[in-house]
Amino acid sequence: MSYIKLENLKKVYNNKVTAVKEFTLEIERGEFIVFLGPSGCGKSTTMRMIAGLETVTEGDILIEGKSIVNLQPKDRGISMIFQSYAVWPHMTVYDNIAYALKLRKMSKTKIKETVIKAAEICNIREYLDRYPSQLSGGQRQRVAVARAIAIKSKLFLMDEPLSNLDAKLRVSMRTELKRIHQNLNSTSIFVTHDQSEALSLADRIVVMKNGYIEQIGTPNEIYHEPKTMFVAQFIGSPPSNLFKVKVEKKANKYFLTNKIFKFEVLKEDLKSKLDLYLNKTIILSIRPENITVNDEELFSTKINIVEPQGSHVVISVDVENNEVKIVSDKLNLKINQTVKLGFTDKYILFDEKTGQRIK
Amino acid sequence: MGENNIQINKTKKAIKSTIFYMFIVFVAFAFIIPLIYLTTTSFSSLIEVSDYPRQMFPSFSHNVEFSYDETYERYVLARENNKGEYVILNFGDEKNLSKYLEKNFNVFLEEDELLEIMLPAKETGEPIKVKLYKNIIANYIKFFETFDGVGEAFVNSVRAAIYTIILSLGIGGGLGYALAKTDIKGKQAIGVGALIVRMFPTIAISVSAAVMLIKFGMFDSMYGLAVIYAIPNIGLTAWITKGIFMNVNKELEEASLVFGATKIKTFYKITFPLVLPAFAASSMYAFITAWNDTAVALLLTTNNKTLSLVLYEAIGGVNSIHYAAAGSILLILPAAFFTFYLRKYINQLWG
Repeated sequence: MSYIKLENLKKVYNNKVTAVKEFTLEIERGEFIVFLGPSGCGKSTTMRMIAGLETVTEGDILIEGKSIVNLQPKDRGISMIFQSYAVWPHMTVYDNIAYALKLRKMSKTKIKETVIKAAEICNIREYLDRYPSQLSGGQRQRVAVARAIAIKSKLFLMDEPLSNLDAKLRVSMRTELKRIHQNLNSTSIFVTHDQSEALSLADRIVVMKNGYIEQIGTPNEIYHEPKTMFVAQFIGSPPSNLFKVKVEKKANKYFLTNKIFKFEVLKEDLKSKLDLYLNKTIILSIRPENITVNDEELFSTKINIVEPQGSHVVISVDVENNEVKIVSDKLNLKINQTVKLGFTDKYILFDEKTGQRIK
Repeated sequence: MGENNIQINKTKKAIKSTIFYMFIVFVAFAFIIPLIYLTTTSFSSLIEVSDYPRQMFPSFSHNVEFSYDETYERYVLARENNKGEYVILNFGDEKNLSKYLEKNFNVFLEEDELLEIMLPAKETGEPIKVKLYKNIIANYIKFFETFDGVGEAFVNSVRAAIYTIILSLGIGGGLGYALAKTDIKGKQAIGVGALIVRMFPTIAISVSAAVMLIKFGMFDSMYGLAVIYAIPNIGLTAWITKGIFMNVNKELEEASLVFGATKIKTFYKITFPLVLPAFAASSMYAFITAWNDTAVALLLTTNNKTLSLVLYEAIGGVNSIHYAAAGSILLILPAAFFTFYLRKYINQLWG
């Protein structure tokens, strides 16, 4: 039996707006789960339902086989890190961390011990006597983390905890969160709209859109095997390139064509599926790093933009008035240069109407 | 061009600072000097009150000269006025003069003590100059002695102020919370309605207020006064607290809920401390309304007077300006202390 089980969760606001529906997920002990999606996709709502800050319209939440839907937030055995950190400004750092422990009626010496231990993990030992207003954003974030890890909770919830930090701090804090998670072997759910955060932190990612789960999978699955067009477009920086292509069959060979190129499908398992789409339009999705430059020639075009990234360059070309981004390790590419482009076999096809993967 | 501009800027700066200092001086004259005058008066004896020009700071003693008039067999009392001249003020035996000194000089001397001082003048025939020390808080003592029920009036004022604070903060704070945190229908109208009540001068509605209070048996009581004082303050409190309740980040309360507190505990451990400045500011307003009012108390009480009402009557009394000054200081001090005590909260709110 899984550690945490979310069964068919549904959230409807004011009998009108449906924020989340058909949300089913099982989480193993010690897993780091990331809810990923654009704003308004219901990821925060789902987390708040788990925390007990929102009521559940339908469905059930089970921790270790027991339903927590009807419990007060305080009785759910969870701890949470908030987007605004939510450290209490009228308490010192020590009191912030000790708050939950005092409510649990721990002895004073035990509280002190626990607070100091949590503070040491988060590197804020020397700030215990300060008030939050005397701390920087990153330090406040650490206080929030220390407060969350001080209690022995069954589940950590993190609601976009890094989004208020500057870019550099965000990356280092992210590493630290992962380190803390691994050291404590805690079970965590992390909400974010930042796909690189999700990829770097998660054991499994839940990609959401409009209240639905689009895909659940490991970062590699999500990145390389997106189930829907939305996931392919949402994940990756730059995201996948999409081409509208027509399926043609000539002499038992399958081709994906548009005005610019004619690409032969060589994968045997795909061919049979493509029979359904003969002479219809489908979507060809290919990641920027899976387009080859000056290797095979599928088509040629001029480079519009070159963005050097140090180890590689990102170039933009026009294909049927769509911007196509290519990641290449050929660092000497120049603007207006004509290049030969080709596709590797790591492409994915989607049904144009449903957005589902053809597989 | 550039130099010209610098010149203009310098002139502008000079004008600005001149205006600033003029303003400061004006404030000093308009506010501090009357206050000093009042304080000095409250420590002055009757004889000093009639001096011209009046002294700026309170004195601790009088320089007097006693001589003995052999013809009429009596002592003569002269006082050094603020031009340095000795002016004869009274004569008589130690009994008369002791009383006179107490009344006019705030100098408390028993007859035999006084006689001991004066006797050398009789024995040697030479006038004797002495410094007689005043009882510095004499006016304050006299204020309590001269006017009936000052002590009770003080207690009454404190009671009225406390009840006003409780009513304003209780009802106004609750209303503020509701306006900020709930979706009750017509809350905008309720909010504006609470504020509109302020529009009516309390004195203008005091007749109907008196009728109502008599009906509810609260006429001539501090409860009744507090109700009248609280009416305008409820709306004000509601608006002040509404603003701050809205500013409390919801996540701060949610964090408390998640970390193990009940809703009630969250309110008094998290929400209330965060909104305390608003309540402090509101209680200051409520206190000042109740403490400083005279007119409403004049109309709605008969036997249970408040301190400001007693003072109002004292100021009207003859020859008692120095006692009234002492009473004024007594009235000002609590209000000043209260305001200064709450200063840091006000600072947090609007600083």
